[in-house]
Amino acid sequence: MKELIFKINDKNGLHARPAGVLSESARKYKSDIMVRCDEKEANAKRLLSLMALGATNGKELHITINGEDENEAEVAIKSVLEKALG
Amino acid sequence: MGFLDTGSTVFYGTGVTNIKVSGKMRFVNNETIDIKLEEKKTSPKEEIIRFKKAIEITAKETRALAKRARETLGEGEGQIFEIHAMLLEDEDFNDTVIGEIEKGKSCEKAVEISAKKYASVLRSLNDEYLSARASDIEDICKSIITTLSAKNEKNDDSNEPYILVARDLTPSETVKLDKSKILGFVTFEGSPSSHTAILARAMSIPALVGVGEISGAYDGNIALLDGEKGTLVVSPSNDELLEFEKKKAYENKIATEHERYLRSIMNRPAVTKRGHKVLIYANVGSGEEIEPALLNGAEGLGLLRSEFLYLSRSSYPSEDELFSAYYEIATKMQGKRAIIRTLDIGADKQIPYFKLDKEENPALGYRGVRICLDRVDVFKTQIRAILRASAYGNISIMIPMISTLNELERCKYIINECKNELKEKGVRFDEKIELGIMIETPASALISDELAKEVDFFSVGTNDLTQYTLAIDRQNAKVTSICEENKEAVFKLIKMSADAIHQKGGWIGVCGEMAADLSLTQHFVDMGIDELSVAVPYLLGVREKVCACK
Repeated sequence: MKELIFKINDKNGLHARPAGVLSESARKYKSDIMVRCDEKEANAKRLLSLMALGATNGKELHITINGEDENEAEVAIKSVLEKALG
Repeated sequence: MGFLDTGSTVFYGTGVTNIKVSGKMRFVNNETIDIKLEEKKTSPKEEIIRFKKAIEITAKETRALAKRARETLGEGEGQIFEIHAMLLEDEDFNDTVIGEIEKGKSCEKAVEISAKKYASVLRSLNDEYLSARASDIEDICKSIITTLSAKNEKNDDSNEPYILVARDLTPSETVKLDKSKILGFVTFEGSPSSHTAILARAMSIPALVGVGEISGAYDGNIALLDGEKGTLVVSPSNDELLEFEKKKAYENKIATEHERYLRSIMNRPAVTKRGHKVLIYANVGSGEEIEPALLNGAEGLGLLRSEFLYLSRSSYPSEDELFSAYYEIATKMQGKRAIIRTLDIGADKQIPYFKLDKEENPALGYRGVRICLDRVDVFKTQIRAILRASAYGNISIMIPMISTLNELERCKYIINECKNELKEKGVRFDEKIELGIMIETPASALISDELAKEVDFFSVGTNDLTQYTLAIDRQNAKVTSICEENKEAVFKLIKMSADAIHQKGGWIGVCGEMAADLSLTQHFVDMGIDELSVAVPYLLGVREKVCACK
């Protein structure tokens, strides 16, 4: 299992656009990818649940990646987050 | 809302674009998700099939809309509809709808319930931006229901353009607006950060949002929409109308005349009244900005941020990849100078594969040339690529964040090594390639006499120089006002650097935000600054200002 912690640095938080890019990227991998923000958790492959996290600027996303392609998924998710919200 | 003596009524909202427009209002009844929902007629199984079919068709249409928006409006606008398509296919949403159908609801009703559910979740987050996304969900829901009922919106037969008035507009309705028929639009609801407002801005449609309820009794009345003031004057008096038209015509004239004037001076050298010539260069962050820069009269690139080649990827770019990007830039510039700033990343500008540690004080930490001198392989790869591209155009190298003479000497040693390696391999490059450094630490300005002996030019990064000189964190709003009032210390450092490099026969430019501040242009001219490098939108304004300087 891979774990990532990412602090959101985007005044609009995890809004539709970055959430869309994130879930699109997550769907390319077989691994289960879960995103936790405060006490809420969402499946990274599901756009609506990502948006409903209420992940606003400054909050931390705790991401766990579990599965056969977790290494590749980790690299991809990391770069997507950096690009969209870093 | 208030009544003036003249009988006109004024509504206040938030202007989305600064444009004035006048015309007849037409009310469009478009209550979001207020479509008559049919009672269930068929079995859940059939309803689910209808639903899946509707999703398929709607997603296809939405993607076509995304393509159209992307082509005519831009990448960001296209993405809005791309997200809509993704939401349509979202498993949670689909599961919820199917669950409702299985409970015995009609397909339409199930879609409505599910959309309301997710819209209210987003609205409950108390975040203005996400609340605005709730409207996106309602927009999609409406598209699905429209597809289900296969009913098209009624067409307009009137030819007279009008101001559209609606409770709210969905992004898809906005992008479909025909600019030959719509003068502008006004919505009772909506916020300036909604996708609808973003689209209106991109389409340059005069618009006012969040004006509150307007009675349908005003349908067909003349109104004056002022996007700048955020007002809608309904049934204006003749005097009000006349004055509005006069202002509108005046503003349009000013805007077009100024634009035309700026265009006319685009190719005129920027020379002050006393004959001091200033080169007007552009700051760009990628090769795509070169064409707009040249179209706005850039005489060169004063700052090409090279970070773009390292971002959005998961490993270091190869020398060949870098070379082909620099080669393209060199040829696009058609012999004009392009100053490539070597990699300037740091603890605040992170690139994952560099694996830099988190720092307490990134501005004073491991960044810019400090990293390059540590990771010599990465640095040399970039330098070799720049050198190779220099055979195909007028390229210069600029090193950021120099604060000691030793750093500069080590950079020069590395550059020489790269030159020798290329020579051994018989690869062509410009042997006389110019080398410059950024003046952005007070230390570099204070030892500028020493540094000037080693380089061809300086370029002042005023943002960092200000931050380091006045000990002001650029991101901290509580202290930023201090720099507004205390530029004198920064100017002394710039003047010191200018004198030092001129004495050695080199030249000096300014590429920070101050370069675009027209109230400082005369100061820079007085110091003998040879080049001002600014972001593309400021190019023409700075050129105009320099020509007007003493």
